[in-house]
Amino acid sequence: MSQPPIATETLGSFSEDPAPGDAPTSKKKNGNVAKSPTQIALTRLRKDRVALVCGTIVLLLVVLGVFAPLITHLLDIHEKQEPGLPGLTELLEYDGFPAIGPPYYPFTWEHPLGIAPQTGYDNLARLLYGVRTSLLVSTLATVLSTLIGVTIGLMAGFARGWPDRILSFIIDLFLSFPFLLGALCLAPIITSRFSADVDKLGRAQLLALVGVLVVFGWMSLARLVRGQVLSLREREFIQSALVIGVPTRRILFKELLPNLVAPIVVAVSLMLPAYVAAEAGLSFLGIGLTGIPSLGQTINVAYGYFDAYSLYLWAPVIVVMVLVVALNLLGDSIRDAFDPKTRR
Amino acid sequence: MLGYIVRRLLAALLVVIITSMAVFALFYKAIPNPAGPVCAAQGRCTADRLALIEESMGLNEPITTQYGKFVKGVFVGRDVPFGSSTYECDAPCFGISYGTRQPVTDQLVKAYPATLTLALGGATIYLTFGVTLGVLAARARGTIWDRGLVGFSLVISSIPYYLFALLAWIFLTLRTNIFPDTEYQPITQGVLPWIGAMLLPWLVLGIAQSTQYARFSRGEMLETLGEDYIRSASAKGVPRNKVIFKHALRAAIVPVVTIFGLDFAALLAGTVFTEKIFGIDGVGLLALDSVIETPMDLPVINATVMLAAAMVVLANLVVDILYGYLDPRVRIG
Repeated sequence: MSQPPIATETLGSFSEDPAPGDAPTSKKKNGNVAKSPTQIALTRLRKDRVALVCGTIVLLLVVLGVFAPLITHLLDIHEKQEPGLPGLTELLEYDGFPAIGPPYYPFTWEHPLGIAPQTGYDNLARLLYGVRTSLLVSTLATVLSTLIGVTIGLMAGFARGWPDRILSFIIDLFLSFPFLLGALCLAPIITSRFSADVDKLGRAQLLALVGVLVVFGWMSLARLVRGQVLSLREREFIQSALVIGVPTRRILFKELLPNLVAPIVVAVSLMLPAYVAAEAGLSFLGIGLTGIPSLGQTINVAYGYFDAYSLYLWAPVIVVMVLVVALNLLGDSIRDAFDPKTRR
Repeated sequence: MLGYIVRRLLAALLVVIITSMAVFALFYKAIPNPAGPVCAAQGRCTADRLALIEESMGLNEPITTQYGKFVKGVFVGRDVPFGSSTYECDAPCFGISYGTRQPVTDQLVKAYPATLTLALGGATIYLTFGVTLGVLAARARGTIWDRGLVGFSLVISSIPYYLFALLAWIFLTLRTNIFPDTEYQPITQGVLPWIGAMLLPWLVLGIAQSTQYARFSRGEMLETLGEDYIRSASAKGVPRNKVIFKHALRAAIVPVVTIFGLDFAALLAGTVFTEKIFGIDGVGLLALDSVIETPMDLPVINATVMLAAAMVVLANLVVDILYGYLDPRVRIG
C-alpha cells in the first residue's frame, strides 16, 4: 500500500484510500496473547518516537488553544480592543506601526509578541485565539464529515443495487468538484446571508467554514467505507447474521462498524491536519474567517509586513506550520501503527 | 469500446449539466438581493432603481427561465440587458461581468494562458521529477537514500502548500532576488522573459507536488517489483536497470497516470494559491477577485466554477479511456 499523492492546490485530499480489504483483515496476532488490532496498534504507536514528539506538540497546542481565554487573562492581554484599555492613539504611531514593543522598541511583557500594526491587536492573544479557532473548526469538521462519510458509506456498501448506484453517483459528483473553487463560492454566499447582523457574522462564518469543509470532505471516507463494506458483507459472519435475521441496524453498527475502526481512525487522523491547513488557507485567501481571530487571516494581513515587522508574520506562519506538520506526521505514524505494511 | 466511450460521455454530460444547474441556482437564488450591490455601485440606490435593475437583470423571472436564457447564451449568444444599457455577448456567452462590463468569456480567454502555462510547467516538473525520484528510491530500497527521500518527502508534503509557496516567494524573490519579481509575460513577448517570470512558480508547484508523486510511484514500483514476472526477468539474466525501467516501470506508471490526470484537471481549474502569492493573473485569481470584491461578480464566479467542474469531468473521462490503452489487463466495454 502506498499513499496516493495529494493535490496541493486542492488543499489535500481529506483521507486515504487503502485498497479494499486491507487494513482490518491483514492484522497478524502478536505472539500468543490475544490482542485486538487496536491494542496492537497502540503498542506500536507508543514505541514510535516521531509519534511521541508530534503527539506532545499537538497536545501542547491543544492546551494552549483550549485555555486561550485563561492564558490571555493571566497575562493581561486582550484579543480585541475594549473600553478601558489603552486607545489606538497610545498604542500606534502616526504611521500605524506599534509605539511599544517590536519592531522598533524593546520587548515588553505587556505585549510579549508585540501588537499588530494599524489595528493594535495583541499578537499573542490573537495567536492563541487563532489556534483555538483553528482547532475548533477542524475538529467540528472532522467529526461531522466522519459521521456523514461513514453513514453514507455503510448505506451504499450494504444496500448495493440502485441505492448504491445513486449514492456512488452523488459521491462522484461531489468529488468532481474542485474543493477550492467550491469553497470560494460557497463561503461568501453563506456569509452574505448573515452580513446584516455583525454580532452573528463571526459565528455564521465559522459555521459556514465548517459547512464548506464538510461538504467537500466527506466523500473520500464514504468511498473508503463503502469499499470495505462491499468486501466485508460477503464474509461468513455477516452472511450468518443475515441468515438468522439480525436486524439491519444491528448488523451495520454492531457487526460491520467494529471492523471498520482501523481505516476510519487512520482516515480521521489524516483528515484533521488537512482541515487545519484548509481553514488557515481559506482565511489566508480572505474567504474564510474575518470576524474572529484566525491564523490564516493574520498571515494574509501580515505578509505585507515581512520586511518591516517580520515577527508579526513569522509567529502565525510558524504556528500553522508546526501544528499541521505535527498532526500530519502523527497521522502518518497512526497509519503505520495500524498497517505496518505502508512504509516498507 | 465505442459503446463505452459514448456511455461515459453521456454520463459526463449529465454531471456537467447537473453541476451547472446547481451552481446557477446557488448563485442566483442563494444570495439575497444580488441586484442590490450593483445598484449601490451606480450611485444612490432608490427603490425604483433597484426594481428597474432587477427587472433588467431578469431577476423577476423564474429561475428556470433565467437558466434557459443562460444556456441559450452559451450556445448562440444573446444580448444582456444591464442597468440602463444592453451589452452584446457572442456565443459562448457566460454573461457580462458586473465589475468590468466585459463579456465573461473575454476575461476567461485573457486569463487562461497564464493558468495553462503554470499548470503545464508545474505538472511537467512534478511528474518527471517525482516519478524519477520514486523509481530511484524503489531501486535503492532500504538504503539510507531511500529512507532519506521518504522522510524528506513526508515532511515537505506535510507543510501546507501555501506556506511553502509564501516562504519561497519571500526568501527567493523579495529577500534575495534570486528569481526576478516580474508578472506573468505572454510567450509572444519572448521566451526568456516568459520562462524567467514563471520559473519560481513552476519550481514551487513542481517540488511541492513531486514529493507526493515520489512516494506514490515508489510504492507502486515496490509492489510491481514483487511480481513474479519481474523475478522471471531477473532470473533469466536481464540487467537490473532494464528490468526496472523497462519491465517494471511500464506497469507501475499506470496508477500514477490516473492520479496525474485528476491533479492536472484541478490545476487547470485554477491554481488559486500560486496565482495569489506570485501575482499571476490567471483564472484562479480571477475567481478569487470576483468573490472578494464588492459587489460580488456573480457571472465571473459562475463561469469559472462551471468551467472547473467541466475540466475535472473531462479529465476523469480521458483517464478512464486511457486506462484501457495503458494497462492491457483492463478491459473496458
